[in-house]
Amino acid sequence: MTPALRIRDLRKNYGDFVAVDGISLDVERGDFFGFLGPNGAGKTTTINAVVGLATPTSGSIEVFGYDNARSWRESRRLIGLSPQEYNFDRYLSIRDVLIYQAGYYGLRGAAVRAFADDLLERFGLASKAGDTFVKLSGGMKRRLSLARALIHRPDLLILDEPTAGVDVELRIELWTLLRELNAGGATIILTTHYLEEAESMCRNIAIIEGGKLLALEPTERLLARRGSTTLSVTVRNAVLDVPATLLGRGARYDAATRTMRFEGVDPAAIAPALAELVALGYEIENVDFKRSSLQDVFLDLVGHA
Amino acid sequence: MMDALGFRNPVGLATLVKRELVRTYKVINQVIWPPIITTVLYVLVFGLGLGSRVQSVQGVPYAAFLIPGLIMLQVIDQTYGESSSSLFQGRFMASIQELLVAPLSAVEMVTGFIVAAIMRALLIAFLILGVGFLMVHTMPTNWPLYFLMTTLVATLFSAIGIIFGLFAEKFDHIAVFTTFVITPLVFVGGVFTSAQFLPPLVRQLSLFNPMFYMIDAFRFAFTGRSDVPLEVSIGIVIALTVVSVAVALRLTISGFKLRV
Repeated sequence: MTPALRIRDLRKNYGDFVAVDGISLDVERGDFFGFLGPNGAGKTTTINAVVGLATPTSGSIEVFGYDNARSWRESRRLIGLSPQEYNFDRYLSIRDVLIYQAGYYGLRGAAVRAFADDLLERFGLASKAGDTFVKLSGGMKRRLSLARALIHRPDLLILDEPTAGVDVELRIELWTLLRELNAGGATIILTTHYLEEAESMCRNIAIIEGGKLLALEPTERLLARRGSTTLSVTVRNAVLDVPATLLGRGARYDAATRTMRFEGVDPAAIAPALAELVALGYEIENVDFKRSSLQDVFLDLVGHA
Repeated sequence: MMDALGFRNPVGLATLVKRELVRTYKVINQVIWPPIITTVLYVLVFGLGLGSRVQSVQGVPYAAFLIPGLIMLQVIDQTYGESSSSLFQGRFMASIQELLVAPLSAVEMVTGFIVAAIMRALLIAFLILGVGFLMVHTMPTNWPLYFLMTTLVATLFSAIGIIFGLFAEKFDHIAVFTTFVITPLVFVGGVFTSAQFLPPLVRQLSLFNPMFYMIDAFRFAFTGRSDVPLEVSIGIVIALTVVSVAVALRLTISGFKLRV
């Protein structure tokens, strides 16, 4: 089955500046895909090339098998974009923003109007249907942006910083909504600066820096491969022996706090290790297990780019 | 983009036309009423006031002579102003991206702007014509020519509006063309006087003014007379329209200042 998105050797230059430097990636159908990178890394340029807002210098992009250059009408019909910056039509009411957007996609009639009303209802915007977007709060604008991306029922939803500048409550609300859309079969590509968001939502992650891909793999594998674990055990009595199950794990002992620290510990090894410590006569006061987050991995990767 | 010249999204095209007309309606106090009020003032002051001292021009009272020129003046000014500012505002506010991400070809976009401009021009021309009929009892005698010239001139200046809307980096740039090209050329292009009343040298210079041919051919629809042969004027206006539309299309197809 063709992937939802296939990018090959994508390059975008602005004069001498290389914004995207030969990116290749696949996003499988039904995936929830995180596209991460620091500011200016090339995320939005890549997305703009996919949705038709930027013309690639070279390389190819296919959306559900449709080539962006040759079959651009088909590929655009399959994509819904919620851009980073608000770009609504100021002359239209928010209900008309949805209806006209559907019109640009070749859709009209009672079914479109009914779907627009459904979306406004679902996104809590029905009471504002007759207002222009300038009268909406920040959170409402974000929801309208998402509703507009959905009005032509796309199969691939691209969300560029969908939760930027929204409060925690709305962010959680949007997460729930995005999970529902993904569960309903939509492929979602998300860029975000909230790495915990990507960690909890995305099954696959690409990290980009300086226009180049630094990582492209399932979130779990990325965390396991790039991340680290630390087990800290504080005991009441002085340490003489380190448990055999934890030997060779870079054990460090801090006599002042009577704490043993072990790096790279498999979570499955924790219980046997603690049992061994008890068997060795240690009285355990505190146990702490830390696993590096996507943020640590991200900073590690980008820092070494 | 192989399908850039294709017409495969008629609903999208119609939606763009409708959107442009909605925009016109929302800025009606800038777009529709000023041409009407300006025309009434011109007719009162120049046509019925000063013009009452002029016997006749091209066989009609001066006030009746004035009406076709005033219609052209407003059609030119408003079609250029509307398409340039709509496009520039769309770029400035990024709302043009709503069109750019949709399956609309460059030719569908350009056609949408032009068709809306023609409809707006026909409305403005019709309203000014109403003023002319009420105040000086003048009406076209050649309706096909009236519609042909209004449509051609609206197409020409909306295409020029698209070009300037794409090039402009600030609103000020759009005003440059109005201030330094449209207004002077229209005013010396025969809105207020026939070329036969001009000194010989100025009359020769008028032949290099494209506005002269537009106004002269359009006035023929009312008076049945022109300063230069009708087919020459229509030919020149068609040639200018074809070139302007081609340039507007070329820029839009290439994504100039649209697709970064």
